[in-house]
Amino acid sequence: MNRNQLDHILKAHHRDAYLWARQCCSFEDEMAKDVLQQAYLKILEGQAKLKDASKAKTWLFSIIRYTAIDEIRKAGKVVSLSDSYDPVELTEEVDSTDYEEIIKHLPEMQREVILMVFYHQMTIAQSAEILQIGLGTARTHYDRGKKRLKELITKVQIQEEYGK
Amino acid sequence: MENNEQLERFFDQMKKQDEQIEIPAFPEVKIRKFSFWIPAGIAASMGFAFLFMQEPATVESAPPEIVIITLQEDENQNQHFTIEETTFLDTWESPTASLLTDY
Repeated sequence: MNRNQLDHILKAHHRDAYLWARQCCSFEDEMAKDVLQQAYLKILEGQAKLKDASKAKTWLFSIIRYTAIDEIRKAGKVVSLSDSYDPVELTEEVDSTDYEEIIKHLPEMQREVILMVFYHQMTIAQSAEILQIGLGTARTHYDRGKKRLKELITKVQIQEEYGK
Repeated sequence: MENNEQLERFFDQMKKQDEQIEIPAFPEVKIRKFSFWIPAGIAASMGFAFLFMQEPATVESAPPEIVIITLQEDENQNQHFTIEETTFLDTWESPTASLLTDY
């Protein structure tokens, strides 16, 4: 695959790639821009190679995710394993339109699978490929994430109702 | 059939909100391509350096080995020495030759 073809693929997915980078960086714009730039560099310098053009989006998302993990690690924002699996309880009042804040209350893997499926219209199998986990595990994260997010949305709505 | 209406509505609204996000322009990534000019430039520089580092062999002038001291008499009968240095002697006169003739 030559440089022009890669450029074309990256440009076609640029908006989605940026939004995904943002979601991988806890919605921090500046970090997302850096991550995206580094991911593009990896691709154009040939450090990451696309074998199957039909899987371009999955491949790009996977590179962005791993670049974001590296960047977060460098920044010292390491999340312990237990933190990444346990759901974060809603302690403070969250606005029902603050979608990013609500999503942040999901454990990391569940959040990623849910975002890929509902926001980026991917399949659970594609999510599993990006996360490099088995399909069964991805399905578990998907089911738990869905259940948890529904609970969160309901909780936020109740909080708002109660507040009124 | 899964009942995902609540979640779909949530993400539809989230996407609508995200439309306000300013997407950065696609970056013009300059890749660090290995250029032909880099090794060519290095080779040329090394060639020049090699030429300049070779000092030209200095032609050492032969040390003057012969000193000719002559005692000359001018038209006023005054005698004075002339000293000259040379590497060769085209005529040689024995320093004692005068003894043979004068005495």
